[in-house]
Amino acid sequence: MYSVNTNGLTKIYSTGIRKRKVQALVDLNLSVDQGIIFGLLGPNGAGKTTLIKILLGITFPTAGDAKILNQEITNYRIKGKIGYLPENHRYPSYLTGGEVLRFFGKLSGMGGIQLEKKIDELLNLVKLNNWKKAKVKTYSKGMMQRLGLAQSLINDPELIFLDEPTDGVDPLGRKEIRDILVDLKNKSKTIFLNSHLLSEVELISDRVGILNKGRLIREGTVKELTEKKEEYSLTIENITDENLLRQLNLNRIKEDSYSVRVSDISELNKLIDSLREKKILITEIIKQKATLEEMFISLIMESEKGEKK
Amino acid sequence: MKNMMLMILYTLRESFARKVFIFFFGLSCLSILITAIIFSLVDQAQILQSFLSKGNIGAGNVVMIIELGIVSPLASIGLLLSIFSASSFIPVLLEKGNIDLFLSKPISRTQLIMGKYLGGLLVVLLNVVFLVLGIWIIISLKFSYWNPSFLWTIAVITFTFAVLYSLILFFGIITKGSLLGMMSAYFIFIILSPLLLFFKDQLNVLIKSDFIKKAFEILYYIIPKTQELMAKINYEIARGQGISDFQPVISSFLFLILMLFFSILLFQKKDF
Repeated sequence: MYSVNTNGLTKIYSTGIRKRKVQALVDLNLSVDQGIIFGLLGPNGAGKTTLIKILLGITFPTAGDAKILNQEITNYRIKGKIGYLPENHRYPSYLTGGEVLRFFGKLSGMGGIQLEKKIDELLNLVKLNNWKKAKVKTYSKGMMQRLGLAQSLINDPELIFLDEPTDGVDPLGRKEIRDILVDLKNKSKTIFLNSHLLSEVELISDRVGILNKGRLIREGTVKELTEKKEEYSLTIENITDENLLRQLNLNRIKEDSYSVRVSDISELNKLIDSLREKKILITEIIKQKATLEEMFISLIMESEKGEKK
Repeated sequence: MKNMMLMILYTLRESFARKVFIFFFGLSCLSILITAIIFSLVDQAQILQSFLSKGNIGAGNVVMIIELGIVSPLASIGLLLSIFSASSFIPVLLEKGNIDLFLSKPISRTQLIMGKYLGGLLVVLLNVVFLVLGIWIIISLKFSYWNPSFLWTIAVITFTFAVLYSLILFFGIITKGSLLGMMSAYFIFIILSPLLLFFKDQLNVLIKSDFIKKAFEILYYIIPKTQELMAKINYEIARGQGISDFQPVISSFLFLILMLFFSILLFQKKDF
């Protein structure tokens, strides 16, 4: 069963007096398995927030359909099993942290001692237990994010949408939030994470989707996306013969480290055979990996080029 | 239904926090206090005598006229202030970052917007109850004459506000702001409704063009009759004689229903 499943999801906005059409999402087909952390990446205006808003019934699709937790998104009751931390969320400044959680907890169908216990538990989790009775207006940006995270978890949701959850949070706080998310995943919760902090997504996401101009241009595990398929780094004894290097197509990175581009694995094996024939000792062969950031930038640029053509 | 109740109470809490409730409550307290002081200083028999000498009216009517004479202007000022204060409830709900949160919860859009509307109404109702009840008790105690029918004015004043508030709700959803709704409500309450009533009662005979006559007539029936509600209907109901002509009530009620219907319809389809 999928936690999120979209089918040809399209959203076109009309803006300005002339009602100029802006495609926020284009024929989006996406499936997110249960119990994973799914990271959705994309430049500003890629359609990440629009996708979440459609899934939550905040915005309506122009075409296509979607299901969350196997229910149509039009069924508002399913939201009882969903948590959401919006980007730039606002809580009434006159409420205290505890009151915010109590109100949204009640709105999600909770109540009584169970709710009070949950409030304390969550404030403890996000390290705001000493701020329970403080008005939200006295909270810093980072504290607001922590409260937002607690709010999104108040109803013990099965699926949690987080839109830039670490925005304004210091590095230590980010680490703590990441740990919370991993812990939630271990409890079989599905986390749908929107972020522009690629390193963060790389650290915790099981699968990643890349959105550009409303189109899903790539989707897969972090490993799949960052692997450079045809590039290897080799650690071998130092080769002094420059002709041999050219002949084997090896590029020197440093003294005993070389990189090689091959068309496939058999070509790599041929190279290994050649090296061994020449009695050159191979100590390490590593398939090259790009960072998620490198991959992201190259994908976006490719996508832009493709569009221009 | 439980979530709608929660929204109503949340709006009440919001009105406390924004000092809207406290402001109205303070004004009501002041009005009641001034009334109490004035009536403790004047002689009851003298007041009755001055009214009775003017014509064939009973003591009961005198008390009712005094009550209405105090409550009516206060209620009108109160309504103007209520429109100003309560008009921000809807735009605040629709603010980016706020509405997203509400819509992500298991509450239907209808319940959400109706909860907010009824919450605003409750704020005004509580204050109207306090004001009318306070003045009624003071005057009834002073004259030892208890006219419970006068308390029906609470319903009429709140109903008048409900009609105008439905317009604020409608424009609030369209514009995500309070200005247009507030200005429309003021325009109807202060200018249009009295003007159309004046047209219907006086000006009608002076206009020769059938087209203009018809246009004004149609407009009269469309626009809520806040002037008649706050004056004629309030007077009749306070006297306990019942409403002689239900047309202003029914047409205003229809206006309210239509405004709520279109507000809900718009809110159901709106992207945030």
